[in-house]
Amino acid sequence: MRKSFLYMILPALVLVFATSCEKDDTDFSQYKLTDGTDDDDDDDGDDPMTSASDTIYIAWNGAAVSVTGDNDGYVSVSGADVTVDTGEDADSLMLVLSGTTDDGSLLVNRSKKYTILLNGVSITNADGPAINNQCSKALYVVCADGSTNTLTDGTAYADRSYQQKGALFSEGQTYFSGAGTLNVYGNCKNAIACDDYITIEGDITINTVTSDTGSNGIKANDGMYINGGTLKIKVVSDGGRGIRCDSYVNITGGNTTITTSGDCVIEKNAEGVADTTSAAGIKCDSLFSMSGGSLTISSSGDGGKGIRCDQNVEFSGGTLVVKTTGDNDVSKPKGIKSDTGIIVSGGSFSVSVNKSWACDNGSESEVPSAQLTVLGTPVSSSIEKKKVVITY
Amino acid sequence: MQTYRHLSGKLRYVVVLLFAIHYSLFTASAQSEGGLLAGIEAEKKINKEFSISLEGELRTRNDFKTMDRWKIGLDASYKVNNWLKANAGYSLLDYNNREKVEYYTSEKGNEKIKWRPSYWSVKHRFHASLTGSHKFMNGIKLSLRERWQYTYRPEKETERYKMKIKDQTMTLDDGYVRSGKGKNQLRSRFQIEYDRKRALFTPYASVELYNSWGIEKVRYTAGTDIRLGKQHSLGVYYRYQDIRNVDEDDYDPDMHYLGLGYKFKF
Repeated sequence: MRKSFLYMILPALVLVFATSCEKDDTDFSQYKLTDGTDDDDDDDGDDPMTSASDTIYIAWNGAAVSVTGDNDGYVSVSGADVTVDTGEDADSLMLVLSGTTDDGSLLVNRSKKYTILLNGVSITNADGPAINNQCSKALYVVCADGSTNTLTDGTAYADRSYQQKGALFSEGQTYFSGAGTLNVYGNCKNAIACDDYITIEGDITINTVTSDTGSNGIKANDGMYINGGTLKIKVVSDGGRGIRCDSYVNITGGNTTITTSGDCVIEKNAEGVADTTSAAGIKCDSLFSMSGGSLTISSSGDGGKGIRCDQNVEFSGGTLVVKTTGDNDVSKPKGIKSDTGIIVSGGSFSVSVNKSWACDNGSESEVPSAQLTVLGTPVSSSIEKKKVVITY
Repeated sequence: MQTYRHLSGKLRYVVVLLFAIHYSLFTASAQSEGGLLAGIEAEKKINKEFSISLEGELRTRNDFKTMDRWKIGLDASYKVNNWLKANAGYSLLDYNNREKVEYYTSEKGNEKIKWRPSYWSVKHRFHASLTGSHKFMNGIKLSLRERWQYTYRPEKETERYKMKIKDQTMTLDDGYVRSGKGKNQLRSRFQIEYDRKRALFTPYASVELYNSWGIEKVRYTAGTDIRLGKQHSLGVYYRYQDIRNVDEDDYDPDMHYLGLGYKFKF
């Protein structure tokens, strides 16, 4: 019996282990690995499509909409509300938006990545997002060179069967690029919201304003990557965050300015216990890292923080200026608060507060220098409770 | 003893047949690949109705040349009555995810490639199923199994390269994270088998549909279980997997599998 068993098992094992150790990857060994610094073409990041099999032009004019290039009947229009539904169609798609409407919207249902080219468009939707992308694949939002584009939502959304989390809402990873301007006004929830990650590249200028009836400037579930562009975020809502990210925040370039003025919010949780939510320039549930670009944060509300991070804050380059001027009646307006560590190893790092601590790495120490880790040899370093300035 | 000698002779033919199938699969068409499914299972019957089993499986692809997946799973089975059985279990899967190559043209007109090499990552799978069966007097047994499975893949940081075709250069795209995601599927399997008591071979054929808001893939399987005794059995089968409509992330070509299994009953 055992012998018979061996007759079967041994050849099988030999077969498996002798023949299954190869990789089936394409052979790119002739390509030379570079650090990309000499690549003058690499500012295109995760390149948006610049041409597509299907290019559909949607132009608003008040309550009217004109659609051209819709050869497959993807687009339906109700008033100035436009729905693009491509189903399972895999052809590349680019939507080119232009014109102005005070009561319109764009809703996209799609299963493959696509591009929205904002070519001088202004959409206001009183009862929902101005643009709602229900595609879980990549969305490339490109601002046409020199164009100014504006998206505004209302203070209350109508009930829908799909999610709507901001004036510009995207289910899939969203890449912003181009050399135009995008203004987004969030009056109900977030100005920009994404259930995946957001990347900002190139020369784009994004301005967001979140009113006192909204919540955050930019909300990203799976990551926030700022590699370029100019980003100005203003949040006035109580407990609102400039950038609210459930995952990593990584800044390697661009110029980002965040202003929050909301106070701390006290809410009772499900158990009836009071809980506080402070406003913050950036609230990050995972690692915050910065290696380039500039980031300026001002928080003026009660307990308003600069950066609030559940994990490490790692700063290795670029220019960071954080200033909080709020009171500490309900919550402490710390400059940078991390639960695990604040590590500074390069660039220009400046954090100041009126009340509480400039840096708090979660330790119990009353010694300011114990609240952060400084690596290497800075040109100058001044670490005080309410002000930390380190320059490399 | 004589019986085992007889058995041993038959098994030699089976082994030769397996090698024949193996090498014929190497010549699978360009749109499809050959692979091996090798499994080992231990089953413990707790009482008349209830049993548990532990299973290990490995899978290869690329015409048997590349390891595709390891799996270890725990399953509990309850016999509700003569014709209905319920199962539930958990599997830990370790996948060798296929590479992803995207060719595109950048804004400046350069031909480029985005390449994510193959990488290993785990998945967690839970399943529950109901199997209804009916056996006819002549030994033909028909069964229908409906299985719900939920597979979760945790977030994973992977390598990705951007490559310029003209310059033949590549740059590592740091910190590329593939987000976690969960997926529900309904698997419906219809099987016919010729099941005679104490027979050496129990041949069967089945077709199984993977459904997740549409048919994603269809598996056609034909094979036989080989009874080596009360406790030991072997299985050998051929499976054709027809990919219909799956997410980009779950893409596989159509597959021709040679399956081998060993089962031990306590």
